[in-house]
Amino acid sequence: MEVFQYVLRKLLAGIPLVLGVTLISFVLIVYFGPDKTYELLGKNPTADEIAEIRSQLGYDQPFVTRYMDYLREIVTLDFGSSESTDEKVSSILARTVPTSIALAIPGFVLGNLLGVVLALVAAYYRGFWVDKFIMGFAAVGMSISFLIAIIGFQILFSSSDGLDLLPVRGWDMSTPLQYIRYVTVPTLATVFVALGYNTRFYRAVIVEEMTRDHVRTARAFGVPPVQLFYRNILKNSMIPIVTRIMFSIPVIVISGSLLLESYFGIPGVGKVTYDAIVTGDQPILKAVVVLTAVLFVIAQLLADICYRVVDPRVSLK
Amino acid sequence: MCIFRHRFAFILLLVILGACSSGESELPAGVDQKVFRYSMDSAPTSLDPVRASTLYANQLVVNLYDTLYVYKYLQRPYELRPNLATAMPEISPDGLTYTIPVKQGIYFADDPAFPGGKGRELTAHDFIYSLKRHFDPSTRPAGAWLWQGRIVGLDEWKQAGSDYAQEIPGLRATGSHVVQIRLKRPYPQLVDTLALGFSGVVPREAVEYYGREFSINPVGSGPFRLVSYDSSRAVLVPQENFRREVVDLEYEGYDAATQSQYGVALIDGRIPPFIDQLEIYFIKEGSARWSSFTKSNEIQYAGLPNEQVDRVLVSTNPVTLNPGYAEQYHMKTALEAGFVFSTFNMDFPEFGYNDDPERERRNHALRCAMIRGFDWESRNDSWYSGIGKVFPGIIPPVVPEYDAGLSRDSVIYDPEGARSLLAANGWNTATLPVLTYGTTPGPTSRLFFEQFRAWMMRIGYPKEKIVLKTYATFGDIAKAWRNSELPLISKGWGLDYPDAENTLQLFYGPNASPGSNDGNYRNAEYDEMFRQAGVMLPSPVRTDLYHRMNQLVIDDCVAITGLSRVGIALWHKNVIALPDRNFVGGRFMYYVDVLDPDAPEVQALR
Repeated sequence: MEVFQYVLRKLLAGIPLVLGVTLISFVLIVYFGPDKTYELLGKNPTADEIAEIRSQLGYDQPFVTRYMDYLREIVTLDFGSSESTDEKVSSILARTVPTSIALAIPGFVLGNLLGVVLALVAAYYRGFWVDKFIMGFAAVGMSISFLIAIIGFQILFSSSDGLDLLPVRGWDMSTPLQYIRYVTVPTLATVFVALGYNTRFYRAVIVEEMTRDHVRTARAFGVPPVQLFYRNILKNSMIPIVTRIMFSIPVIVISGSLLLESYFGIPGVGKVTYDAIVTGDQPILKAVVVLTAVLFVIAQLLADICYRVVDPRVSLK
Repeated sequence: MCIFRHRFAFILLLVILGACSSGESELPAGVDQKVFRYSMDSAPTSLDPVRASTLYANQLVVNLYDTLYVYKYLQRPYELRPNLATAMPEISPDGLTYTIPVKQGIYFADDPAFPGGKGRELTAHDFIYSLKRHFDPSTRPAGAWLWQGRIVGLDEWKQAGSDYAQEIPGLRATGSHVVQIRLKRPYPQLVDTLALGFSGVVPREAVEYYGREFSINPVGSGPFRLVSYDSSRAVLVPQENFRREVVDLEYEGYDAATQSQYGVALIDGRIPPFIDQLEIYFIKEGSARWSSFTKSNEIQYAGLPNEQVDRVLVSTNPVTLNPGYAEQYHMKTALEAGFVFSTFNMDFPEFGYNDDPERERRNHALRCAMIRGFDWESRNDSWYSGIGKVFPGIIPPVVPEYDAGLSRDSVIYDPEGARSLLAANGWNTATLPVLTYGTTPGPTSRLFFEQFRAWMMRIGYPKEKIVLKTYATFGDIAKAWRNSELPLISKGWGLDYPDAENTLQLFYGPNASPGSNDGNYRNAEYDEMFRQAGVMLPSPVRTDLYHRMNQLVIDDCVAITGLSRVGIALWHKNVIALPDRNFVGGRFMYYVDVLDPDAPEVQALR
């Protein structure tokens, strides 16, 4: 009951947040976003034709009217059709969001799991060569741009100049094997870069926890290292780890990864969102903004519940 | 624990086997299928003919829909032939009435939009409906400019509310399979416009059935139909109801001397389409496109990226492939049907027209000096591997009216002459006006600007007086051009049809902003000649008028022009085709055949 009440309270409290985000985003879209009119026009447009398109796009309406329309769209969950492709926004998201999730999950899970494991090892051997080696590797991962990692892995694993084992581009989830064929190289590139950031972050959290009195006491009592790490260190380090993981989820679901999708030819939501930003496709942008804001509210809520699970001292009030 | 371990090992084995397997086909395994995998630099946004304004959209549209006319597959310069029409149009002696008989027995693709899902026969009424859609604002048409002010009653039909039930006097079906078009004044390029994707014939049922989403659910009578389409690729298969027509290579303009090495003679006398699936990949990233192309089982066609030129070619003059690549790939260089150029905005009193005649005279000298200070050869070497064709004026080499004998003075780099000209007309670092150079973000755009500024500094322009203004998107800079906000407009122009009229109209006074005359050039003599030529069929008299207009643009120093890029296309040896990525060339995919790489015919081509 306590959890249910908390969830309800948090969801209600999230409404102003979502409204605030939509308002600010809409101001930016309307006043600073690209003007779609000139992409839709033909080669010798007349002033009347320009006015027609502007009217169809709603540009001639006052801001308040347009924002009210936006709110109505949020309530009805009907964001209309893309101004570029004319496809319904709901269909676009239904088609592309699952692809982006399927693309991101392996890299996200492996990047975090391996990050925690490597961070534990590095923390355990703090100051020794193992720690230095892992941190050096992490620094390399952080230093190399994602774009270079993508191109490098693509050439290494997929191109005829490299091992030529996997496809350069494409996406197919018709069978698990096909999925694995197409997701492997993007995942390797993601993990390579994510490990750098994750390992350093998690190591710092774990090292801090290792210096606490209760850990020192447990060590003095002769608690075995595995038990010490699992019960006394990892569990107590979980709050920052959960926070980091939870707040990554909306980004994965909605933003996707533009670079991965572009370079590997994956029809995900990242590319759709990017195209919408650069072309001023407002119906898609409006939907993405709302979805992102709602997911952040949910992620925050889940994070709070997870805090309670990993640390019973946390109260959901 | 033991069972778990075995399962884990089994899954791992599957993963490794799956990951390492090769092959890309989506078609049923075990069936010998022919798939052509083509690549384009960008994705089309709409497959509705009324919005086929980009090269990418046009290439798909002309393969999904039929047009009355098409360009012959192999003939260069381009030449029209009937497609849906049974013959070239019958034109009345005054050049105002075109009568076009349409083939019988042409069927649209099967689609749920039709009763029983069976595609019905295409008639002249479908063509009329399709053309009317360009004048219906609710379709957001991009091609109406081709017929605006040309066809009797069409503009008035739009003004009256675009009611499809209302007939248009100049656009009628005089029988179920005869189209009659009546013009307000002669329009010699009319037949060319009927070969563009814009004039693809659509069935009304499908437009009404799919509503706005007709743009992603194309239903045409073309050689292919769409199976899937997203931001990364489109998959097409042969359209079951498409007519069976035998290829007559001689009629298509086959030239054995220049085309036999591509194996296209193998399709003579056969009935296309020859492939079972056409996959078009939209790949912006050059490195990914190249990696995919050089694999044996992914895309089979790609342009040669600049960064690979040194590796792939042994020479750029003539363009010669490295023997290792020549063994694997066909190569063809093709002159762009278009050109790149910059126009001064004549509405800017600092550079163009001015109330003060003396200042206007000095502005003319300033523009001429800047043109002399622009190093076309260097631009060609820096960005186009030195193989682009630099030419004077605005009639590009690809059109029949190109004037090969025209003086090249306007494209010769002459910084000293430019400096002298500026000095002689009272221009110095203090008096030279600020020039705002508009561009979009990106390293290439930035380098274009830096190169331009360096050349201008060499003729005495102060660095701080050439100011960069970056627009976030193409839409934003297009808005600035349309609204006459920039003093210099740099762009590329792709020909809609192979007639110099298409580039000369860029300087026609009535087409000034927001029209395509971004430079707002207004010259009564030029406009009069343009009007005269506009009603003439190709002839020496018309060509002479074109040349005189071209000379006026050069003499008035209105534009820094120009260069037609030369693209280097590569495709796998087992693909029998002559690809053409120009706006007027997308229909080549209809003729593509894909052979077994080990077939003797392919071996003979190596």
